[in-house]
Amino acid sequence: MTHSPRLSLGLAPSLIAALFALAGCGISAESGGRAYRGAMIAHAMPRPSFTLTDTHGRPFDFRAQTDDTVTLLFFGYLNCPDVCPVHLTNIATVMRGLPYDVTSKVRVVFVTTDPARDTPEKLQAWLANFDPSFIGLRGTPEQVTAIEKSVDVAPAVAAAPDSAGRYEVGHAAQVLAFTRDDSAHVVYPFGTRQADWAHDLPLLVKVK
Amino acid sequence: MTTVQWWCSARGIPWRWSWQAYPGVWLAVLALGATYARWSRPVANAASHAFTTSAARRAGGWIGVVLVWMALDWPGGPLGTGYLASVHAAQFLALAMVAPPLLLRGIDGDRIRALLDRNGVVAKIIVAVTTPLVAMLAFTIVMLSTHAPGVVDTLMRTQLGAFALDFAWFLSGLAFWWPVVIDVPLRERFGPPMRMLYLFAGTQAHLYLSMWLLLAEFPAYGIYELAPRVTGLSALEDQQVAGGLLLTLGGTYVLAVISVLFFRWFEEPQPEA
Repeated sequence: MTHSPRLSLGLAPSLIAALFALAGCGISAESGGRAYRGAMIAHAMPRPSFTLTDTHGRPFDFRAQTDDTVTLLFFGYLNCPDVCPVHLTNIATVMRGLPYDVTSKVRVVFVTTDPARDTPEKLQAWLANFDPSFIGLRGTPEQVTAIEKSVDVAPAVAAAPDSAGRYEVGHAAQVLAFTRDDSAHVVYPFGTRQADWAHDLPLLVKVK
Repeated sequence: MTTVQWWCSARGIPWRWSWQAYPGVWLAVLALGATYARWSRPVANAASHAFTTSAARRAGGWIGVVLVWMALDWPGGPLGTGYLASVHAAQFLALAMVAPPLLLRGIDGDRIRALLDRNGVVAKIIVAVTTPLVAMLAFTIVMLSTHAPGVVDTLMRTQLGAFALDFAWFLSGLAFWWPVVIDVPLRERFGPPMRMLYLFAGTQAHLYLSMWLLLAEFPAYGIYELAPRVTGLSALEDQQVAGGLLLTLGGTYVLAVISVLFFRWFEEPQPEA
């Protein structure tokens, strides 16, 4: 998806406007009269029920503790070199610019697919780099795999370690957006831009 | 198996400070160097040597060749193509704004006169594309179109696309700077005042582009926004640095060239009344 940023300056001549408007033809999807820039799910997915452990060591009941919020659920890991930091950076950047009445209704929940390396302390510090409000959850690989399957996400797979013991974890790249009607209607694949999030988050908050 | 990267393109993989070969860049720079070496050499049997370029100008041209090489090869090439808009802006300044006039100043005037006097196809193309209005329009159109997000995000993902973009910058830069730097073909009405006006008008698009990059609410280019970060700067901050570079370095550079043209013109002996 490509989108031109909104101009804050009205000085650009029409030629520039015309050229740069060419980039604004992003993919959008309709749901209940709303046009989302994320990818629509054919059949709405119910908000899952599961309990994992947060970065403070406390149990986190996903369904109960994210009730009546727009919840962006994402599976990834701290050593991820590309997808995870880009997604989280883009969401955090956009959240900083949105009004409080929107951001107060949004929760970002990150479930680690690499619990062996992502200790609670590391996960907490890493997520706080993006936004201190982001919630990090840990569970056993079996628990996480079960949750991934329950939300139609491909289970993460760890690659074989190299000679230095480093390894990468293949994981799903999409962010699932559960709205306040306890369903996910839209997912956001890798490639979702900040302009897309800024467009969609206020719309998602309105779904009730 | 690793495939050869002939030209830098956006690959979306994490940046590593490990050297990588770009044979296509080397070939292009070698071709440029060979062409420049031939065209900067004074003509042995020129009638007057009136247009022979100076050693300093010839040396300046070699700086232009090195600039092109640095802009295209590792690390500047891949960084600007796939990771940092700020490096991309620096590449543009090098390829379209600084290297072309340096190279053109180093070319031997007698050789160009001889080429144009032959009035062949190449001469006709050169005369046509270096006509000031044509060159200015072409430069502006290339500059704007090659900075449109859709164009950048599409071209930079492939080696051929990235090559086309770099080549378009360099060629349009040569055409744009030719009427300012080279006096052949002789255009009597295109004196110093017109050249100053030409430079000012021809670089106005930079101002709008740089302001757009500086003031945009979100990152303009997907390849930079979605690329793994290289520096501590966010994609938007990096884009603002790009806009700042175009505005400050580019603007100052153009102003400096206009100033040089003005003072040279000012010091020229005026024809007696």
